[in-house]
Amino acid sequence: MAEAVREIPQPMGASAPALVRVENVVKHFPAGIGQTVKAVDGVSFEIRQGETLGLVGESGCGKSTLGRLVMQLIPVTSGKIFLGDVELTKLRGERLRQQRRQMQIIFQDPYASLDPRMTIGDIIAEPLANFGVTRGRKAQRRVQELLRVVGLNPNFNNRYPHEFSGGQRQRIGIARALALNPKLIVCDEAISALDVSIQAQIVNLLEDLQREFNLTYLFIAHDLSVVRHISDRVMVMYLGKLVEIADSTDVYSSPKHPYTKALLSAIPVPDPKVQRGRRLVDLSGEIPSPINPPSGCRFHTRCPIARVPTPCAEDDPPLEEKVRTHFAACHFSQDV
Amino acid sequence: MASPILQVKDLKTQFRTHDGIVKAVDGVSFDLYPGESLGIVGESGSGKSMTAYSLLRLVPDPGKVVGGQVLFRNQDLLQISDEEIREIRGRDIAMIFQDPQSSLNPVLRTGFQIAEAMLAHKKANKQQAYNRAVELLKRVRIPAAESRIKDFPHQLSGGMRQRAMIAMGLANAPSMLIADEPTTALDVTVQAQILELLADLNQELGTAIIMITHNMGVVAGLCTRVLVMYAGEIVEQGPVDQIFENPQHPYTWSLLRSIPRVDALRHERLRSIEGIAPDLLRPPAGCRFHPRCPFRIEKCLVDQPELKEVKPNQLASCWVTMDRARKEMGADQLLDIRPGAASGLQPGKIVD
Repeated sequence: MAEAVREIPQPMGASAPALVRVENVVKHFPAGIGQTVKAVDGVSFEIRQGETLGLVGESGCGKSTLGRLVMQLIPVTSGKIFLGDVELTKLRGERLRQQRRQMQIIFQDPYASLDPRMTIGDIIAEPLANFGVTRGRKAQRRVQELLRVVGLNPNFNNRYPHEFSGGQRQRIGIARALALNPKLIVCDEAISALDVSIQAQIVNLLEDLQREFNLTYLFIAHDLSVVRHISDRVMVMYLGKLVEIADSTDVYSSPKHPYTKALLSAIPVPDPKVQRGRRLVDLSGEIPSPINPPSGCRFHTRCPIARVPTPCAEDDPPLEEKVRTHFAACHFSQDV
Repeated sequence: MASPILQVKDLKTQFRTHDGIVKAVDGVSFDLYPGESLGIVGESGSGKSMTAYSLLRLVPDPGKVVGGQVLFRNQDLLQISDEEIREIRGRDIAMIFQDPQSSLNPVLRTGFQIAEAMLAHKKANKQQAYNRAVELLKRVRIPAAESRIKDFPHQLSGGMRQRAMIAMGLANAPSMLIADEPTTALDVTVQAQILELLADLNQELGTAIIMITHNMGVVAGLCTRVLVMYAGEIVEQGPVDQIFENPQHPYTWSLLRSIPRVDALRHERLRSIEGIAPDLLRPPAGCRFHPRCPFRIEKCLVDQPELKEVKPNQLASCWVTMDRARKEMGADQLLDIRPGAASGLQPGKIVD
């Protein structure tokens, strides 16, 4: 089990109140007889109102599961999640559903996340009807307004998803997410499937919308360069645990966890002169199974600076504030 | 300079569809020199993968190579018999694909599949082939290679499968390796390892590499020369350093500016490329990039520019080129990147 919350990492100049508070959240999935996948294993953090919190990690680290837990699309195994003062993890049924109108999610696949047999007008109006906000002609007026907001022609509301490109579909997904004026939007790899030139359009759109509607984003992606670009703070996840949380410039300029450093070194920079001079931090081996994660620090089997067995293979390092507002879970963060 | 091992001349690949003919590759020409690593970059639908598939006559139905030449050691691969091209595939020119999961046979052991590549070309007997398979797996840094050759593909991780694919590609010591987005499905840390491996092989074995990718960072790290494709055509080509530092085609220039960099010093708004890539059923008249280009002039709307040398070793197909766009249109200070924004030729003026 995860230990007690020591300190919940706070963003820079923690003046804005927390919109989301995640306390010691654990999510285990059954995986055959007597086995569990420890997808999320004791995670605590806060998302402040109006900020963009990035969440990165490699496939299987638990980042999407964490996003779904925040939305309460799946129940927690243990731990608490608050939206404002409301403890979501205590709510069920209709009361949870009512809270959901404040939280929306944008998915990775702009093809699979839109019903091909509905017009985009109906797709965007569906949340309005679900929550009894408006219907009929009034709803379609709101749809047209939303289409304009996301940069699509408002007269396209009678068209079907297949008539749009990937980037345009993602705009439709964003319009649907905005329909109910949510406070929080979880972007789960929302731009990963798009072409480079279209990614930039959507990133810019998300930034504009945030400013206009005072939105709060949890931005989940595997592409650290995009996450760093859009986020105020970045969380790095490895095998179900947060290993680092910091202001996005600090994460890059002075990572305090060897995994973050390795991850950063692996991202190719589109500049041949810079790229040739960069050194790859070689991570030995492959990511271990989340069914049987390594003892102590989960990263010790691949860590270039681990001291085994003591302490790295024995003690799980807590996520601590190493310098102001910069949290890392490493016994030797000063050596990174 | 050595003579090229591959010369592609005016290659054209088309797909006959219900709605008309899609010109997926439309007059592509380039050379590949021995031991070189050449990047082909572009976004989806630019024709980069179809170019690669066309070289080895692997274009899926209903696509067809309808014109041009692919000269490999002075032999036109488009003209030889099916038998002869099969001999060349895997022996002289190997190819690795994006998805190692679907390129490996799930019911055959990895070692057998690598050995098979040698046996098919009668390069070795069974025992020799197996011994070499182990050697190759070690070469691509798969730990415990002796036992791994007995594994089935599903027992290997994604990164290891791609290594096994590369081992298979190298089995017959080909002079050329075509890699079609080999790292796109992999995590970044694994991607970095695979790229390092490819760079080593390129240097140590002298295998020429054609790297097909959408990732400018991958090209920057691995390649010495790059072709940039847009809407079925090469819009710019030249040495990597030169193209990244001073791109001359507005598409290359815009693409490089639209990518967030992990090493950026401060938060700047991304300069996106407005609009979307054209429908290749009905490509725009004139320059195919003109509907999205901030620097377009009247000529771009009607005349198609040819790929020509704009700087030593650097070719671009543009009536304006970035040198002029910088000097006369203030490209570097340009904040508004809407089509026609810099040249004053607004979208309204376009007759479609």
